[in-house]
Amino acid sequence: MTAVTAGLLAQGMLALIAAVLAFSVPPRVRSVVGGTLCALTAGAGVITGALVLVGGHGNVTLVLALPVDPLILASSRLGGLFMVVISAVGVLVSVYGIRYAHGAAASRTSWAALAAFLLGMQLVPAAGNSLTFLLMWETMAAASTVLLLADHAHRHQVSSAAIWYSAMSQLSFLLLLAGFGVLGAAGVTTFSASGASVSTTPAAGLAFVLLIIGFGSKAGLVPVHVWLPRAHPQAPSHISAAMSAAMVSVGAYGALLVCTRLLPGGPPWWGVLLMVFGGVSAVYGILQASVTSNIKVLLAHSTTENMGLVFLAVGASVLLRSYHATAAADAALLAALLLLISHALFKATLFLGAGAIQHATGEIDLDRLGGLLRRMPWTAATFGVAALAAAALPVTSGFVAEWTLLQALIHGSRLGGTPVAVVVSVAMPLAVAVVALTAGLALLTFVKSYGIAFLARPRTAQPAATEVPIGMRIPMVLGALAVLAVGVLPGPVAEMAASVLPATRAPFLHTIGLGGISIPSIGVVLDPAALVVLAAAIAVPVAMIVRILSRRHPTRMTALPWGGGGSRARPRMQYTATSYAEPLVRVFDDVLKPSRDVQVTHAGESRYLVERVQVEQRMADVVETRLYRPVLNAAQRFGVLARHAQNGRIQQYLAYSFVALLVVLVVVAV
Amino acid sequence: MTGQAVVIAVVQLALLIFVAPLLIGVIRQVRARLEGRVGPGVWQPWRDLRKLLGKNPVHAEGSSWILTVGPLALVLSSLLLCVLLPLVGALNAPMIPSDLFVIVSVMLLGVVALALVGLDAGTAFGGMGSSRHMTVAALVEPTVLLAIYALSIPAGTSTLSVIVGARLRDPAIIISPVSVLAMVALAIAIMAETGRLPVDNPSTHLELTMMHEAMVLEASGRDLAWLEVGSWLKLAALLGLLGNLVAPWGIVTDMTLWSVLLGIVAVTAKILLLGVMLSVGEVFLAKVRLFRVPELLAGSFTLALLAVTASYLVA
Amino acid sequence: MLTSIFPQAIGLCAGVLLLTSTLMVWRHSLLASIGLLAAQGIGLAALVALIGVHSGDAQLLVVSVLVLALKGVVLPWILARQSRASTRTVEESPHQNPIVALLTVAGLTILSYVVLGRILSHVGAVTAHAAPIGLAMVLTGFLLLVTRRRARSQLVGFLLLDNGIATVAFLTSGGVPLFLELGISLDVLLVVVILYVFTGRMHAKFGGTDVDTLRELHD
Repeated sequence: MTAVTAGLLAQGMLALIAAVLAFSVPPRVRSVVGGTLCALTAGAGVITGALVLVGGHGNVTLVLALPVDPLILASSRLGGLFMVVISAVGVLVSVYGIRYAHGAAASRTSWAALAAFLLGMQLVPAAGNSLTFLLMWETMAAASTVLLLADHAHRHQVSSAAIWYSAMSQLSFLLLLAGFGVLGAAGVTTFSASGASVSTTPAAGLAFVLLIIGFGSKAGLVPVHVWLPRAHPQAPSHISAAMSAAMVSVGAYGALLVCTRLLPGGPPWWGVLLMVFGGVSAVYGILQASVTSNIKVLLAHSTTENMGLVFLAVGASVLLRSYHATAAADAALLAALLLLISHALFKATLFLGAGAIQHATGEIDLDRLGGLLRRMPWTAATFGVAALAAAALPVTSGFVAEWTLLQALIHGSRLGGTPVAVVVSVAMPLAVAVVALTAGLALLTFVKSYGIAFLARPRTAQPAATEVPIGMRIPMVLGALAVLAVGVLPGPVAEMAASVLPATRAPFLHTIGLGGISIPSIGVVLDPAALVVLAAAIAVPVAMIVRILSRRHPTRMTALPWGGGGSRARPRMQYTATSYAEPLVRVFDDVLKPSRDVQVTHAGESRYLVERVQVEQRMADVVETRLYRPVLNAAQRFGVLARHAQNGRIQQYLAYSFVALLVVLVVVAV
Repeated sequence: MTGQAVVIAVVQLALLIFVAPLLIGVIRQVRARLEGRVGPGVWQPWRDLRKLLGKNPVHAEGSSWILTVGPLALVLSSLLLCVLLPLVGALNAPMIPSDLFVIVSVMLLGVVALALVGLDAGTAFGGMGSSRHMTVAALVEPTVLLAIYALSIPAGTSTLSVIVGARLRDPAIIISPVSVLAMVALAIAIMAETGRLPVDNPSTHLELTMMHEAMVLEASGRDLAWLEVGSWLKLAALLGLLGNLVAPWGIVTDMTLWSVLLGIVAVTAKILLLGVMLSVGEVFLAKVRLFRVPELLAGSFTLALLAVTASYLVA
Repeated sequence: MLTSIFPQAIGLCAGVLLLTSTLMVWRHSLLASIGLLAAQGIGLAALVALIGVHSGDAQLLVVSVLVLALKGVVLPWILARQSRASTRTVEESPHQNPIVALLTVAGLTILSYVVLGRILSHVGAVTAHAAPIGLAMVLTGFLLLVTRRRARSQLVGFLLLDNGIATVAFLTSGGVPLFLELGISLDVLLVVVILYVFTGRMHAKFGGTDVDTLRELHD
């Protein structure tokens, strides 16, 4: 038995122990025991994944009594990378949950479901055939639904969110089932056998479309994203973190599995389809994020954006590979992996930060927050670092990932100086435009979320918010440190990701300097550490000047910010998140379709004197109102019709059975 | 190579710190003369700086350390721009090529710092300025990156010093339609990014129109000085870049004392000349309404997109 | 000398044509559009002259002068004279959101590249590579015709369309015969003069040339 095999088994054992103990220990220590064991399960996942990445092998085969394929867990490098990323998030959320979980989120069911959820997510990337994959996938989906439902007794929105979530989960599952079925019929049953030979057949195309939509739904892509902004604000924050950072990565893993292992070398239209799917999601997601004021909904929409970018990168890679622009295709795939790693790290940190804010103030609406920087310095610092990464600014992991993506795209349209193909020449500039617009809007979104929540003065009278306990701080700090580490020294992580790429010939990527990356085949170099050194060299003299000046002229404090004519500027006069995004709402009026109500109450004697102005703005999800509503309404009408057939008379039900039996007999006879 | 790059970097830094306030002085003086005023003279920004640095900054209750650190971050980002851009010389340290994506993101760090300063004081004006500033920044970014893409196509790289070097060797690139469209787009983007007319009026204090001024309203003394220097440096560095892209002659490619001196003179002349042109242009321009600004930016975006498309024309 | 910069020069002229047509969509002011039309006429004349000099075809030089005179000077002058006479209605408020219109222009240009790129891929000539710009101009002209309200702005769109057709003709076939060009030019001149008189009458009669209000005549 190899170490990897032991690791795979250990994850299962630990999760089982966690579930059993969660049900048996007294409530006093339940969170500590449950959290610790969940963290250990995830820790085993990190170690196993890391072992696979350094070259370990191992597999577990479980022959079932049923006449179906055996369950196979087998190691692959791609799976190993995902196992590490997902489990790392699992460790953070489990540790965080120990102090955070309370009430329904700390119940027996919740802790047992968390263990199952983590196990499912960690083992999806290890699945060696479609049966195992679907089993683990369904474990993950069911456990997360249970977790989402934790608080359904107290808040009625929870059950609505859970219905949406489980409906979309099941839709995704059915699509995957159909997709794998078509794939199996085409001759690809185990994941170790590559289906390169069948990639160009129509059956492969059908399987591709089914699988991509199924995986896209889990990754939260438009138009199958509707569960995401509903589920996240209702789930406990550490569960949102696990769902948004890890579970969507599982969706992206599925897409990578299809494009690189199951059906490599697909035709160009696959790439174009993926790019359109991803590009639309990226822009739509970040646009919704930029105009919302609920911090968890904002983060959920931002997940849609990031996964959109991942799919865009994968699509670019497929497209470029089909035109034999191999170097750029590899770079795009590397970018997809870096985007995923980066997203998992910063999104986990951001959701944990949002949880800390909710824990301290009881609010997640940005319009009611403010001034948290001085009260919650740790949360502010970690949230700030993660927000920088989400806005793709140096020196964070987000920047490295986006830089790689942009370089892959601009080097993709030309092969040795000549244009590759018309479709590539059109797709690449548009992709650059999409990435750039997304980056710009992400910048605004995260400046807004950070600036409104942490800076200025509290917008409502809050009970004195204090910093969260150290048990919740540690995971946030670890997450932020990881974001910075990947951002400053991307070399090792990028090399690890590059080793996953299929059929890597000559070393595709070099580590240069302290931990910079260099991709010689497209001739690009990035060394953030050198940039940091340079900035420090410039900062030292500036800091010295500031020091001298501040000794001579110290800062004075005053009670009065400038209020336009000397009146005291009240906290209510500050800009809120909604007003911050108002110019953007106007610019993207046609896409967002906001509905505004302005009610002016005039003072009694004159219509020139205004007593009160009330403005209400609602932002409907256009996809939902245009696409889902008609379908749901039709379903409802059908349900009303079906009610006629179901009137509670037992004889009639028996008659149905009788008719059904007759029909079966007739069919058999014919 | 590294040694030469360090020398060039130090020269650029020193030169830009000297030229940036002078540039602002020239812009204001030319404008004053064209409007029939005497003007304060080209050295006035230096005098303003000295005055501001000698004052105690005043912070409102409830503001945080962002108000102190934000301005420094802006200055630092602008100084990094001055080092990274090929202004005096097109030489690079091998570790830090003047990669355009890196440069844009370093610039965006400054943009973010400024926006956070605007939010920190907790006034309506600060928030308003910050919101508008970020909206413009968000919409400018596609234009900038696409223009970069268009410029990078003939050179085959996004490293700026190589792009400038390629233009120096083969000036025909400069008048190619790709380059012309991209330069127009980039110029509009730079005007928007540095808060000049017609996007923002740098000399207004009318609350309905201001962006940059609204954000710095709450800063005073030393903090205000840093914010001003940061924006001036950014303007000077970007104008220098534009100058070198349009007319790359005079930039240092081999390291001799004379060529460095020539490089210094050339880039100073280009920056100041562009400053004068900017100033003359601004006299004849009115600020566009805030909600017409996206139209302007969409126009520049279209030009950048056309530039990239057209690059497949002159193959 | 000329052969070495010929591709660049053709590219530059094509770039000017594209830039001016984009700006026509961008600017709402009718006078500005007319100025751009004049600039475009000059660009087109330069393009014709370049092809003429390059191929050593004297007839093309004559055509170039003709184009310059007609499209660069006469037509814009006629339009501008009329517009200056009634400056009240120079601001155009188009049907379409200007941002969307601009992005549509970008999309149309890309479309014409994709379409003509496939057709002309086997043609090695430099001029053929620039031909998609002509098609883009035709499409942009159509866009203006569809989205503008005022009859005079639509006239601008019509002229842009005509310029586009001329550009495609010159770039793909290396020029049209002199007589044909002469005939087309006279046709266009005639159409413009008729429309000019017509809009003038409309203006005198109804006080505006908003095409939307003309529908009321029908009702």
